[in-house]
Amino acid sequence: MDNENMYQLLLQMKAGDQQAFHTVYDATYQDVYRTVCFLVDHQQDREDVMNEIYMQMWTSLANYDPNRPFHFWLNGLVIRQVQRFRVKGWRRFRIFERARGFSREESHWDQPTVLMDGTNQLISQSIRKLTDKQRTVIILRFFQDYTLEEIATLLDIPLGTVKSRYHAGLQALRKSLGDLPPERMDMIHEY
Amino acid sequence: MSIEHKIREHLHNEAETITCPPAISKRIEQSYSQYVNPKRSEQTMKKRLIASLVATAILIPTAAFAAPALIDMFTRTPMTADQVKVDKLGRATLEKLYNALPETRSFEIIDASYLGDPNDPTRTTIQQSIVLQEKGGTEKRITLHANGITGEVEDLTQENWEPKQKPLHTLTEQEIKAKVDYIIDKMYSNIKDFEVTLEQMDNQHEKTWMLNYTKKGSETPIYQVFVYGNAISLSHIGGSKSTPPSITVEGLFSLNGKPDYTADSFLNDEKLFALLQISPTVLKQELAKGRSVVEIAASKNVTKQQVIDVIARTQAENQYKADSNGEKASESLIKQFMKAVEPKVLAVIEHKTETEW
Repeated sequence: MDNENMYQLLLQMKAGDQQAFHTVYDATYQDVYRTVCFLVDHQQDREDVMNEIYMQMWTSLANYDPNRPFHFWLNGLVIRQVQRFRVKGWRRFRIFERARGFSREESHWDQPTVLMDGTNQLISQSIRKLTDKQRTVIILRFFQDYTLEEIATLLDIPLGTVKSRYHAGLQALRKSLGDLPPERMDMIHEY
Repeated sequence: MSIEHKIREHLHNEAETITCPPAISKRIEQSYSQYVNPKRSEQTMKKRLIASLVATAILIPTAAFAAPALIDMFTRTPMTADQVKVDKLGRATLEKLYNALPETRSFEIIDASYLGDPNDPTRTTIQQSIVLQEKGGTEKRITLHANGITGEVEDLTQENWEPKQKPLHTLTEQEIKAKVDYIIDKMYSNIKDFEVTLEQMDNQHEKTWMLNYTKKGSETPIYQVFVYGNAISLSHIGGSKSTPPSITVEGLFSLNGKPDYTADSFLNDEKLFALLQISPTVLKQELAKGRSVVEIAASKNVTKQQVIDVIARTQAENQYKADSNGEKASESLIKQFMKAVEPKVLAVIEHKTETEW
């Protein structure tokens, strides 16, 4: 969907057009949800963040610049809500509860991961083990295919910071994927 | 295969297996309906607002100097906090406030709206209103009305800035004056060139003071301030070319034997006198007999609606003149104004002397 079209739809949606809302929602929700899943671990939290993102979509439409790609704006909303949620989460859990929260995390793996083979499961786990900051950069780079410059704009941080997080993230992933059992390593080397 | 490739491929594959649960879609849909629906129920909100606004408007007796009745928030187009921040006037107003009272930087915008003719192609804002409130439930609030043409903050209300245990009206007159001086000094100009008169108004419901700030050697005040309860309400009435509607007879009604100026700015209307074929002095005598304006009009075969229309139009035109420095208002805008002021007019013309407002 091109930007102009999307902008019109958003305006209609803001004015209360149910039809427009459904068109916008159907065109975006899968992609948004997937990004949120990669960035947020708990199911209930994902739901809250999703809700917040769409609420923002109609309340902060005034900030939308139709000359820029719609998806870029949308992902900006996603990132901001995820970050806001993390700040909130940090306040909510005191260190003690937070530790408990971590231990619970294991049971919150997505069901589909169970069906994955060992290598894929390992990649998933390794990504989850990254710091929030590294993880955000890695997901934006490899899932959303943004350039590092675009990521810097989205996150509103200097390019140098993005680069260092990106490399640190990759480094960490390399390290944990290097821990693959030898037979798995052979499989990977076959490519 | 490089690790970058592997991660990318993995993420895309995994994404394919993730589908958004219908429960989430349902919840978002509900949020959206909730967002859409208050718009539909705005009507009832307005009614409630009107009732409370009439009450406050009448509680403060407006003496001869009073600025033309402010057209209230509810005829306005609402704005979001983000819209205010990107709007040129909104930004300038906030900047002015932040510079004057730095503590307000942390306040959040809880309400904002603008007044303008939606049919006007230039989209000129006539007046923009912003309400800011301190976070954390202190109810410390400040309301700003900025003139869209001059960019001036023409009206400012500060509420609950004093602690609840010691609200403004318990302070001494000197302390009150110091508080008001501080605001004017910060928001507008140096206070030194001004002469101040402070008087307590006749208002049994609430202790109310009126402060008039007059430039030395000048007659009409530049700033007029009302202090009541725990609020300071300041109007920048000087400087604009508008003059208050000419008052020919004062104290049309009375209350407990004292003249009551509440309705003066509404009823001193040349067109009303013409419509009723009555002179202001006779009108005052008739009102003193305990008849309402509506009853007087009926005896002259003038309907209530005609009276409302005449007064509302004069009020609307005065308001527009005051806001726009004499530019001509479009008919649709005047109509909008008239509708807004109608409830107040109604209260005035049905009022009988020696009764409570």
